[in-house]
Amino acid sequence: MAKRVVILGGGIGGTTVANRIRKALEGEVAAGQVQLSVIDREGIHAYQPGYLMVVFDKMRPEETRRDEAGLLHRSIQLVKGEVEKVDAAANRVLLKGGKEVGYDILVIASGSVIHPELTPGFVEGAHSFYDLANAQKLRTTLRGFTGGKIVVSVAGMPYKCPVAPLEVTFLLDDYLRAQGIREKSEIHYTYPIPKVFGIDSVAQPMQRLMGERGISVHVPFNVDRIDPAGKTIKGVEGDVLPYDLLIAIPAHRGADFVGASGLGDKGNWIPTDRYLLRAEGKENIFVFGDATNIPISKAGSTADYEAETVTHNVASMVRGEAPTARYDGRVYCWILTGLNQATYIKFDYLHPPHPPTPSFAHYWNKVIYNRTYWDLTARALF
Amino acid sequence: MNGSGSAGESSAAPPARTVVDARGSWCPGPLMELVRVIKEEPVGTEFELWSSDEGSRKDIPVWLEKAGHQLVEFRPDAGFDRFVVRKTHE
Repeated sequence: MAKRVVILGGGIGGTTVANRIRKALEGEVAAGQVQLSVIDREGIHAYQPGYLMVVFDKMRPEETRRDEAGLLHRSIQLVKGEVEKVDAAANRVLLKGGKEVGYDILVIASGSVIHPELTPGFVEGAHSFYDLANAQKLRTTLRGFTGGKIVVSVAGMPYKCPVAPLEVTFLLDDYLRAQGIREKSEIHYTYPIPKVFGIDSVAQPMQRLMGERGISVHVPFNVDRIDPAGKTIKGVEGDVLPYDLLIAIPAHRGADFVGASGLGDKGNWIPTDRYLLRAEGKENIFVFGDATNIPISKAGSTADYEAETVTHNVASMVRGEAPTARYDGRVYCWILTGLNQATYIKFDYLHPPHPPTPSFAHYWNKVIYNRTYWDLTARALF
Repeated sequence: MNGSGSAGESSAAPPARTVVDARGSWCPGPLMELVRVIKEEPVGTEFELWSSDEGSRKDIPVWLEKAGHQLVEFRPDAGFDRFVVRKTHE
C-alpha cells in the first residue's frame, strides 16, 4: 500500500511543500509508492502579501489569486473540503460533510485566520487589508480621501506579517504626498510595546524615518475598543485617539479545527518543535508556517524556508529514516518604506536583522519576487 | 509557549508559571510575545520569558510599569535572560 502524505492547507506553505516533497520523492511518487494529497477549503490559492499592493494599485486584485490545481504538480491530489477535525489517534482527517482522509504522515500548513470581531467596534469602524475584499474597500476609501487624521493600529497579537503596520504607514505617507494632500493630513502610528517595532535594530531606523516624515508615534498602545460612531480608538493604557480613517490589523487565531482536534493552545496555535517542525508529542505530524506557536514571524517567507526542513524530514520518514533536518529560524522579508523604496530584514534564531538603507533596488527586488512567486515558490521550481 | 507549570494543592504552593521561550524571536520580538500570552492567561499567572534580545532588559520593565504588571525576578543566563512576570489585573 502506498504511503499517504496528507497536507492541510493550500496557501504558500502547503503548496510549496507539496511540490517540494513530490520532487524529493519523485521516484516513489511516480511508482505509486507514495500518494500526496493537499486538502484546501476553496481550491483557490491566495498570495496574501499582494493585498497591501492592491491598496496602492501596485497589483491588480486578480494577480493575487490562482487556481490551486494549476500550481500543484499533476501527481498531487487536490481535495476540496473544510477540515473539521484531525483524529491523531486514528491517523485520519475528518472533513465537514462526512468525508474521511487517512494518512501516514500529516503536514499541517493551515495558516492563521483573521478575527476582526474579537475587537469591539472593529468591523464597523476600522479598515484593514488582511483579506482581498477589505483591501479593495480601503483602496476605494483612500481614493476619496481628501485629508484628515489617519490612525494605524494593531488590534491583536500575533498577526501575520509583523512589518505590515510599518509598511502601510510609510506607503500612506508617500501616497498622500503624491496626491498633494499630505499637509492636510496627519498620520498616527500606534504599536503595543514602547517602540515602533519589536527589536532595536529595526525599530530605531524605522522610528527615525517616521520622524523625518512627520508621522506621530503613540507607544505603547494596546487596543481596547473602537467607537465607530464617535470615530475614536481607545487603548488599554487609557489613551484615546480620534480618527477620520482608521487602518487596523485584526486579531488572528489558528484554524478552528486545531482547537476541535485538541492540538492547539488557547489561540489555536500548535505547540511545535522549533527545529524539527514536528507537533509536540506527535511522531507523524509536522507543522509549519503560521499554524505553529513558534514566536517568529507569521509570514510567507517563514513558511517558505521552513518548507525545506519539512520536506527533508517527511522524505526521511517515508524512507524509514529518522527526521534529522533542523530549521534554523531563517526569515527574509522586505519592508516597503514608500511607493518606490524598500529595505529588508534577514535573520535566524541566532542572528538578529540589520536592515540596510532603503532603496529603489530593494523595492524592485520585491516587485520581481511578487511576479515570480508563482513559479519560484509555489511551484517550487527554485 | 513551550511549557507550563501547575498550581499545587497547598495554599503555600507557588503560582502557576508558564515558560515563554522567545529566544531567537527578532520579529515580532520577545515583548510582543509576552503581551500576547499575558492576555490569554488569568490574573495571578506567572510567566518566565526567555529572551536573547538585549533590548528586552530595557523594554520589558518599561512596558510592565506602563501596563501595571509585576516584574518578579530578572535572571541573566548563558546567552539569554529570564524575566519572571506576574499578571496582576485583566
